[in-house]
Amino acid sequence: MRSRKLRYWEDIAIGTKREGGGKIVTAAEIIAFASKYDPQYFHTDPKAAEKSIYGGLIASGWHTAAMMMRMLVDGFNNDTASLGSPGFDTLRWYMPVRPGDILSVRSVCVDKAPSQSRPGTGSCRFQTEVLNQKGEVVMSLITIGMYRRRPQGEETPT
Amino acid sequence: MSATKETLYLEDIVPGRIFTAGPYVLEREELIAFARDYDPQPFHLDEAAAAKTPYGGLIASGWQSVGILMRLIVEAFVGRTISMGSPGVDEVRWLKPVRPGDRLSARVTCVEQIPSRSKPDRGICKFVYELVNQDGEVAVRMKGMGMFGRRPGSAT
Repeated sequence: MRSRKLRYWEDIAIGTKREGGGKIVTAAEIIAFASKYDPQYFHTDPKAAEKSIYGGLIASGWHTAAMMMRMLVDGFNNDTASLGSPGFDTLRWYMPVRPGDILSVRSVCVDKAPSQSRPGTGSCRFQTEVLNQKGEVVMSLITIGMYRRRPQGEETPT
Repeated sequence: MSATKETLYLEDIVPGRIFTAGPYVLEREELIAFARDYDPQPFHLDEAAAAKTPYGGLIASGWQSVGILMRLIVEAFVGRTISMGSPGVDEVRWLKPVRPGDRLSARVTCVEQIPSRSKPDRGICKFVYELVNQDGEVAVRMKGMGMFGRRPGSAT
């Protein structure tokens, strides 16, 4: 990380896209996540899940969100002066994520503003979608990131 | 747990009703393990690196905080309902960092109940879900909804 130039708030323009992908979802990971964080039977018990309205094991929506975060961090966040996030808005789960699905993420900056309360920082809002291997959007939300602003005198990345 | 308590139907989840669960103690190992799998940023992974950030030390991934909140929501009441999942969440705010050793509880307040017009066996409830730490501070506030089965024979 040190060898690369950081991208600051100034470097994330409206329209900046970020993508990631290739996350293969397994039954074992669905069950492990849900056993800790969303212990409902259609996320933890493949046999019982067959009789649910979903007709089989599906990932917790929060597991899908966590897998999205990992793809975003791998694809983008580790290059930026990220300061975390105040939250997110308008999350929707459109269709179940099942074992064997291959997920990808695409995210585009739709709005940005310097922070009023914290000088030297700014926030960006991203329309973010998680897709499956058929290109279907399984989840969407507005993610919000906070970033450091470029210190005076530091060069812009090339 | 669910076998020993009565099933909750949509009709039982009325505006103003509050469900609680907890505490859940988040240990350092679990905090780091989650970050390694799902959110490998320095302030979630590495004590020394985290000390240099505005957070001043290791903090949990916000996605882990909502995961813990979800677990407590299931324990508080969803595990006793005919849960049909959730269409989504309108807003989440991570108001306070969650740190290793925090004792976290959930407080869920029903704010609206909407029986489905098209499917007489179910309905949606809207909630404010809060994850509260050992000092009584709200660490996560979430506004969202869940879909629940109605009491058999109650549909009109």
